[in-house]
Amino acid sequence: VKLRFWGVRGSFAMCGPDFLRYGGNTTSIEVVSAAGARLLVDLGTGATEYGRQLMAGAFGHGQGRLPVLLSHTHLDHIQGLPFFTPFFIKGNRIRILGADPVGSSLEQTLQNQLAPHYSPLGGLENLAAGVDLEVFVPGGELTVDGFEVTTAAVPHGNMWTTGFRIKADGKQVTILSDVEYPEPDWPTPEAYALAQGADLLVHDAMHDDDAYALARGWGHSPVSAGVHLAEAAGCARLALFHHNPDATDDAIDTLVARARDGSKVPLFAAAEGEYLDI
Amino acid sequence: MEITFWGVRGSYPVPGRDTVRYGGQTSCVEVRTAGGQVLVIDAGTGLRALGQKLAREARGVAGTHHILLSHVHWDHIQGLPFFEPAYVPGTRIHVYALLTAADELQQVIGGITRHEFFPMPLSAVPADFEFHEVEPGAAMTFADARVLPIALNHPFGSVGYRVDADGTSVAYVADTAPFTEVLHKQHFLPGLEPLTDDDRGALEAMQRELVAAVHGCDTVVYDTHFLPEEYARYPHYGHSTPEHALDIVAGNGVRRLILYHHAPSHTDDQMDEIAARYKALGAQRGVDVVTACEGMMLIVGARGVAA
Repeated sequence: VKLRFWGVRGSFAMCGPDFLRYGGNTTSIEVVSAAGARLLVDLGTGATEYGRQLMAGAFGHGQGRLPVLLSHTHLDHIQGLPFFTPFFIKGNRIRILGADPVGSSLEQTLQNQLAPHYSPLGGLENLAAGVDLEVFVPGGELTVDGFEVTTAAVPHGNMWTTGFRIKADGKQVTILSDVEYPEPDWPTPEAYALAQGADLLVHDAMHDDDAYALARGWGHSPVSAGVHLAEAAGCARLALFHHNPDATDDAIDTLVARARDGSKVPLFAAAEGEYLDI
Repeated sequence: MEITFWGVRGSYPVPGRDTVRYGGQTSCVEVRTAGGQVLVIDAGTGLRALGQKLAREARGVAGTHHILLSHVHWDHIQGLPFFEPAYVPGTRIHVYALLTAADELQQVIGGITRHEFFPMPLSAVPADFEFHEVEPGAAMTFADARVLPIALNHPFGSVGYRVDADGTSVAYVADTAPFTEVLHKQHFLPGLEPLTDDDRGALEAMQRELVAAVHGCDTVVYDTHFLPEEYARYPHYGHSTPEHALDIVAGNGVRRLILYHHAPSHTDDQMDEIAARYKALGAQRGVDVVTACEGMMLIVGARGVAA
């Protein structure tokens, strides 16, 4: 199985020369099985470039199929939706699988995003391809062709997000994108269960450990939280993810070097670009 | 008077190697008079960096900010939740937009910080927000600056602003389609709709009023999202070409035209070609054409006011 980061940035897309090596797009991750099955996790700005590349194939002819898993609906995870060009070609079938936000519904939330005040699209019904929305309650399995996907709710400030365990080709990727535990070295049991035995753990690393004291309770992890979970759950590799918008390439280099000193698990900072073999 | 470009891109932010020189953040400019009055026009993703600068200048002291919105599509408001001064208690933020009522604007801006989209609701943000409705043709005054709202042709409505201060003037004309093929109203357009006689009349009036409003302006910033060949494919999207902009400003006493709201697909190399091509075309029509890039600061009226 292969994985490609199309967007690695948290909260806010960052442009300019200081954000070229790791990338400035907000979150979007593609997973591809050896047999060619694909899925996408989240629709941040990174998804726009992925969408453009998909248009060169079956999606350009209205024959594309893609499941999209949403961790949650904060804007940095859905802001690429109105610009994901496969939606504009009739015949493409794009499933969006996500949980209902507390006190609202997934459908209403995406409708609000495309409401006429905010977007000339005006609503999901005006996407030529249509959207197949599938709401799930985290804690079970999802049916996605070519993959085994398990979900769990993980804490994120005053709400929760969905974590994903994705298996294919005998390998396992776990994605915990926006998460903050009661203590950095106290992952919740659901997060631990999803991460256990992962070949790659992709984990929220929004804050430098020193900066975390000022950001406690805001829903994101210090680097050490991912390191602790990867070690405790026996993960083979750790990708630091959801980079702070203010973290320049040089700052991320420093963060990675420090994290490696304190980690028994090999780790790297997620970067836009190449397909990684898992 | 100075104008600084904090975000020059249309639609959505575009990070990466191809946007390093012109910039990838979405619509936001800062207009600053000699007397120090700051007007923010549009609150796209460029607003985040502007907010950091304003916060540094304020050194923790709460101030009053005026944010004029052309319209409330995401690429023009998405920076608001990341505007650093909003998190300093005592700060007052006045937001102006073309809507049927200021209450509605509060709903719309409140809507982008609903918990489904953003962790902190508007009501919990320390700054006090006040929402104001603008009316095309009804001028507003901010200290030494006079601001005239101008109706534009864009889905769900849009408004430009002419700012007069320090004996010179700058106009911000975005987002707008030209005034020929389509009259944008408040519904989704899958393509062009046939125009009625009333529609044609409304478009002609809108163009006439825009031409009059920017007459004699030193500098006009204009939505030139599309090249002509792109516009031909997407005439219903609500954006113009540099040719459309030149048709409004050439022979109208405007010294300088700024190309703005660049298509997200336009790379730095394409932007270089666009800049050169329209510099030359502008010269033929008596207008100095400059292509906006992020971080660019221009003195308005530096070489005297034309006309």
